[in-house]
Amino acid sequence: MSAEFDVEFIERDDRSARFLVRGLTPAFANGIRRAMIADVPTLSIDTVRFIENSSVMFDEMIALRLGLIPLTTPLADYEIGETVTVALDVEGPATAYSGDLTTSDGLVEPADKNIPIIKLNQGQRLEFEADAVLDRGKEHAKHQGGVSVGYRHLQRVEVIGDRGEFDEEEPHILRGVIETEDGELVATDEFDNDLTNRYPGKEVSVTDVPGAFVFHVETDGSLSVEELVDRAAESIGDRAAELKDAVSV
Amino acid sequence: MELRVIDKTDDELRLEIAGEDHTFMNVLKGVLLELEAVSAATYDVNPEQSGGQTDPVLSIKTAGGADPLDVLADAADRVEGQTDAFRDAFAAAA
Amino acid sequence: MMIPVRCFTCGKVISEYYEEFDARAREGDEDPAAVLDDLGVTRHCCRRMMVSHTDLVDVVSPYQ
Repeated sequence: MSAEFDVEFIERDDRSARFLVRGLTPAFANGIRRAMIADVPTLSIDTVRFIENSSVMFDEMIALRLGLIPLTTPLADYEIGETVTVALDVEGPATAYSGDLTTSDGLVEPADKNIPIIKLNQGQRLEFEADAVLDRGKEHAKHQGGVSVGYRHLQRVEVIGDRGEFDEEEPHILRGVIETEDGELVATDEFDNDLTNRYPGKEVSVTDVPGAFVFHVETDGSLSVEELVDRAAESIGDRAAELKDAVSV
Repeated sequence: MELRVIDKTDDELRLEIAGEDHTFMNVLKGVLLELEAVSAATYDVNPEQSGGQTDPVLSIKTAGGADPLDVLADAADRVEGQTDAFRDAFAAAA
Repeated sequence: MMIPVRCFTCGKVISEYYEEFDARAREGDEDPAAVLDDLGVTRHCCRRMMVSHTDLVDVVSPYQ
């Protein structure tokens, strides 16, 4: 097996990306996908010490909401299990937002500032101190850095002839990314996921390209897409190195 | 990662790899099966809820007189090489 | 009571956009589908979180 990979980005945004990888085995593609979901750690609030909570929600409900707020995670500075202190103090009438959280580390902050935690009325107050801990998605879904991470085969579309004169024009729905005969990569939403829009009146054949996977990666903001993918591959590599060392003794 | 050898003969190995799941085991099995010296390789995991053996058990059978432990070390080395190559290719494109 | 922080199904943070969605599509008269597209809430699992939610904090807040 030659380890020759070819990566090509198709779409790229702050928090999401679609990229094509050639030369992958299905096992390896799935390993990376699983590692992105369950093995790349992120910081998330885990323990909350309430000083005052006179809001209409119970402490536990607020703690659950806090856990789900994504925090930017400088992975180089933290080991699994290490914590950052987070605090909040908001008095009603106001809504406590994730942006009101203050942290003990400048690099750690809520990735989204506009998440309403709880709406407070006149006389209601929310004050607490909390510990955010670095852990993996395997432990709790709140530590999952990737959101809707998945892959599809790259599909090759070839025109094999004209549609029969009296054939009904039926929609031919495809999702993902196709490769045309000229080797061009086209996301299916460009032609509304219907091949008959792109090749009207033609008969086409669709085949999976072996070893070519189109990954769709979206993050919750705690990590960048690049870091998430890199760390996922690294975690598999680390385990392989550990196994090699353990076996070679 | 803790290893426990369950069975070991000249051409067969059964090995428990504690703390791992499908993420790594399937990648490893995939690479093992591509090796010339391996005639059979598989792994078995039971779900968390089953209450019994929940760590994966890897089974390898080799051909042509190769020691299964050497084959396993070779496969782990290849997995590492592949992840390194993937990271390089990804960093180059990013 | 409050809009859930994340989509139950995919885990995308959706509470970010709820106040704007509420102001534009519920209080305002814009087309909810167009507002959701505009906010980047494209998957139908995330869209149902917004469309099917009713904020009840104001109803319960007088009681302690």
